[in-house]
Amino acid sequence: MAELLLDSQIRVWVFLPIVVITFLVGVVRHYVSILLASQKKVELQQVQDSQVMIRSHKLRENGKYIPKQSFLMRRHFFNNEETGYFKTQKRAAVSQNPMTDPSMMTDMLKGNVTNVLPMIMIGGWINWMFSGFVTTKVPFPLTLRFKPMLQRGIELVSLDAAWVSSASWYFLNVFGLRSIYTLVLGENNAADQTRHMQDQMSGAAMAMPPDPKAAFKAEWEALEICDHHWALTNIENDLMGLSAPTADSMYHQNKMD
Amino acid sequence: MRGSRKSTSAIFEGMSWSDARDLLRLWREDNERKSQDVVNLWETILSKNIFKLGDERLLVLEQVCLASLDTNRLDIADKCLQSLAAEFPSSLRVRKLQALKLETLEKYDEALELLDSIIKRDETNAAPRKRRVAILRAKGKHSEAIKELTDYLKKFMSDQEGWQELCDLYLLEQDYARAAFCMEELILHNPHNHLIHQRYADIRYTQGGFENIELARAHYSLAFKLNPSSIRALYGIFLCATNIAVSPKATSPKRKEATKLANWVIKELSKRQERQNVEDSQVAALEGLISSVQLAASA
Amino acid sequence: MAGRVKTKLDKSGEMLAYGEAAVRNNAAILEYCRTSMAALSGATAGLLGLTGFYGFGFYVFAVIGLWCLILFKAGAHWEKYFISRRALLTSGFFGGLFTYVLFWTFLYGMVHVY
Repeated sequence: MAELLLDSQIRVWVFLPIVVITFLVGVVRHYVSILLASQKKVELQQVQDSQVMIRSHKLRENGKYIPKQSFLMRRHFFNNEETGYFKTQKRAAVSQNPMTDPSMMTDMLKGNVTNVLPMIMIGGWINWMFSGFVTTKVPFPLTLRFKPMLQRGIELVSLDAAWVSSASWYFLNVFGLRSIYTLVLGENNAADQTRHMQDQMSGAAMAMPPDPKAAFKAEWEALEICDHHWALTNIENDLMGLSAPTADSMYHQNKMD
Repeated sequence: MRGSRKSTSAIFEGMSWSDARDLLRLWREDNERKSQDVVNLWETILSKNIFKLGDERLLVLEQVCLASLDTNRLDIADKCLQSLAAEFPSSLRVRKLQALKLETLEKYDEALELLDSIIKRDETNAAPRKRRVAILRAKGKHSEAIKELTDYLKKFMSDQEGWQELCDLYLLEQDYARAAFCMEELILHNPHNHLIHQRYADIRYTQGGFENIELARAHYSLAFKLNPSSIRALYGIFLCATNIAVSPKATSPKRKEATKLANWVIKELSKRQERQNVEDSQVAALEGLISSVQLAASA
Repeated sequence: MAGRVKTKLDKSGEMLAYGEAAVRNNAAILEYCRTSMAALSGATAGLLGLTGFYGFGFYVFAVIGLWCLILFKAGAHWEKYFISRRALLTSGFFGGLFTYVLFWTFLYGMVHVY
């Protein structure tokens, strides 16, 4: 194999800086996105809708533990033709066009500002600043197909595919450092706190499907076809160990969903 | 009581502030009440080191404020409230704490006013609405509290705490059918919690009537299945089974089955009793050993 | 939290229940271990100057080693903490591989190329 000798100055002034810059940009981006994150304003109506959805979902999932009459009573409350909740509550269909909703626009903008923009800017800057260097070599042989991927910015036909150019080294870093960010930033920091907040608030702030009308319709259908099989029919015999365990019929719905 | 408090604060004295912080964090995350301990920790350790806590200071202040209201230490609560209000002058969370303080002082009308202003600012905030119910309950106006709580549950339908409280209130009013409805709601949310099944069975059994008792038997059985060490559930099964066995409404196979179930429960209970006796006799043997050792030592 | 519960059946038909919060917590810690392991073993491979298949073999070795360590730590009652033993070995294999290759390449480049 033809060995290339690289100037060790490249290591100090190109190879290392790219790693450090990518990493630091990731950290900065994390904190900027925390700074820019806005508390979503929720309407009372949305909260109510999402809670109704949760309750109806629970009824379908765990309805088998309550007596048949209670189940039917609740289904009647949701699904009755004249008085049912899903039938009487009319929600205006929400238009999906984000341009009409300014808050959604700003959210999208913030997402772009914190995610896409730095990537393009730093990528372009690195391409301009460190263009044309061969920085390193991957320690395993690669086929020629990888050449355009790993040797962006260097058009040398005779160069072995294992060598990596500066621009490609940057992209390798961007993708490979993702899990390192969770390692560095994921422990006991602001990101962790927000997760806790979400846990507490999951009842109220659970993301409501954007269109309650369609969601109600779907839930109505699902509830309509939901039958009641009482899970406790044979529980005493089961306890006494007389019959074969009915565990299958009791728990199959919960199995790892 | 006095002595135990003293001893806990003595344990806390040797702790470093970071251990105290971790302990408070643990309690906060697990929603443990432990108000007296929190106040003790605050007085012995953390009040001196408050600025070492960084941003967590504010969370700790909130926790301590709640605990001090709980234990009627208004001096501490005032201090916490002052520093929190200085940090967040327009925060709804701080206002809720202020309303709580008014409640502690039994100035219920002012507290209600404050809570209303919070609800006006943020309609989706569930906590102040629940506080309103709590105030009504504290004043002893149960039927009004029930009305307020049902209005609340119409909006926040999957709030388990709300359903639980409503069940309690209905039980106070001895409206068992509605209390049972609330328990069913809790079962839907937590089908694997044996305590809820047990309570539901209790309510159904209290309601009486053949069908309700059969239902109670099924739920006691499930509670026992979920927690095989629950003697109360076992006893409940027994009561239901004997009740069914002598009920005039039951068909004869059902009676037979119920008798069998009752016998099984008795067998199960006596098995447990025996095990307990064995353990007791082992303990007694050990105690006998100790006393003989003492005798030998004194001789 | 009065946590939601996941259930599954084991072979004898007994029902096992898992607290969802606990499962999530364990998964997060495992992810942490895995990423650390991938980064550290990648750095080791780079320093040792492993190339080609030796390097990938080293990764497989590290993954299996971590698996054994976790099972050792969990002791005899691994069912108490994890739902499946095999998923413990295979999940996150390729995600870790990416981190491994990056660190391997980085330190190999630092030490052996120049």
